[in-house]
Amino acid sequence: MVEATLEQKYNYSVVRWFTIMSAVYLVVGALVGVYIASELAWPILNFDSPYLSFGRLRPLHTNAVIFAFGGCILMATAFYTVQRTCGVRLWSNRMAWFTFWGWNLIIVSAVITLPLGLTQAKEYAELEWPIDIAIAVVWLSYMFNFIMTIVHRKSSHIYVSNWFFLGMMVMITYLHVVNSLAIPVSLFKSYSIFAGVQDAMIQWWWGHNAVGFYLTAGFLGIMYYFVPKQAGKPVFSYRLSVIHFWALMFGYVWLGAHHLQYTALPDWTGSLGAAVSMAMIIPSWGGAVNGMMTLSGAWDKLRTDYVLRFLIMSLAFYAMSVFEGPVMSLKTVNALSHYTDWTIGHVHSGALGWVGMVGIGAIYHLITKTYHIELWSTRLVNTHFWTATIGTLVYIVAMWVSGIMQGLMWRAYDEYGTLAYTFAESVEAMHPYYAMRAVGGAIFLAGAVMMLVNVVMTVLTANSQGSVQKARTAAATA
Amino acid sequence: MNSLADYFHTDWAAMTTSDWVGTVLTVVIFLLMLVVYLYALRPKNRDRLEAQRFIPLDNEELNNGENNGG
Repeated sequence: MVEATLEQKYNYSVVRWFTIMSAVYLVVGALVGVYIASELAWPILNFDSPYLSFGRLRPLHTNAVIFAFGGCILMATAFYTVQRTCGVRLWSNRMAWFTFWGWNLIIVSAVITLPLGLTQAKEYAELEWPIDIAIAVVWLSYMFNFIMTIVHRKSSHIYVSNWFFLGMMVMITYLHVVNSLAIPVSLFKSYSIFAGVQDAMIQWWWGHNAVGFYLTAGFLGIMYYFVPKQAGKPVFSYRLSVIHFWALMFGYVWLGAHHLQYTALPDWTGSLGAAVSMAMIIPSWGGAVNGMMTLSGAWDKLRTDYVLRFLIMSLAFYAMSVFEGPVMSLKTVNALSHYTDWTIGHVHSGALGWVGMVGIGAIYHLITKTYHIELWSTRLVNTHFWTATIGTLVYIVAMWVSGIMQGLMWRAYDEYGTLAYTFAESVEAMHPYYAMRAVGGAIFLAGAVMMLVNVVMTVLTANSQGSVQKARTAAATA
Repeated sequence: MNSLADYFHTDWAAMTTSDWVGTVLTVVIFLLMLVVYLYALRPKNRDRLEAQRFIPLDNEELNNGENNGG
């Protein structure tokens, strides 16, 4: 009866579709990732085709996992949680569907243009100017609908998850528009209005804040709703969540310069970026502890609730990544780590471990709640948990070893001051780790496929049983 | 750089309008953040803030929204 009333009270349709698409895009994005990782280990896989080359498929991989998987799960969870915490339906059903179709068309346009080599060559912002404009319009529709739903809420307080989502929406609008400012010279070619070191600074101001606001603040919005919900316990400390939010909003915007140590950027800028990065460990760990301690007194739930395992494991990876990142930003460490695979390992510890796992936890939760049915197979969720965890660990360990070895080989010199290794020798030494990385990615991909199968089978079962229809009808007759 | 004093040395005369706008904005926002910290950590506000922890759990109620502190 409760399910029936919730089905009628809230708009779950668009949430259901965003959730399904996020499961699909995780498989697509991870598949492309495994393929390009394999290309680095076995270059024959390029097949001498420009469309399959690493340079063109790599942005397809990053766009698929960040904007397709990440975007869809952020939109699903934001639209779901804002309704549930505000006690009202989404402000506009039509606008929500515009966001859904608009976002998916943008993803399709990325799939077409990136392999064709149409790119602005800005990392995590490769798409050309017409698509950038479309992103801004669709993103604004997402934000406007979210804000208007909050405006019409029945509660006086705005729950902290909504603050995190809103912080992400506001900052990503600002960052995307400024970073994408360009002069078009044709339909598919434009040039950034920034030049030289300013262009680099703007690029990494965007680049790190895409991590900070999109992949961190947005996914913390997911964490602050779904961890307490799945655990059936309130968040450990609400005051800590308030401090976590404002510290992140204030601190993250300073960090971008730490990507440009030892470049033409003024030295103090990199030092400032590194100093604030170190300071950010405190609120970030506060947030991670806040999420984990939510389980205080109920740790036994981890033995039986596999979805909760994903959410809590994601916090362990979050805590690890937000410590590793600041350490890598320090000039002494950066001198070794920069331009090596250590960076790739760090990124994937955050992407697979934090973003991936918290997103996966949210997908499983949403599928059961919005289809009013149990998952098709809980055993498969357990297997998925272990494949995701082991795959992530294999991946990041390979990249840590590879990256540190690369850094040490590049800086080694003999008694005459001559470099001890050629670049080609360092590439050759990486081969076993590149193969290991591909295997780790493939294990993670296998888990993503299991999730997709589980999601599809759950949806098919729900359709055959008519669980959604029953909930709607029961609500209508109640 | 021989000392911390050298490191933190600032040529105030060389500050442009943009520099001042950025500096003032940063300091003001930083102070506002401290105000939020003091508000959140003030013992008097503890119960009021911690009561909001239950919002995600309350929302299974049919009349959710009305009970979320509103």
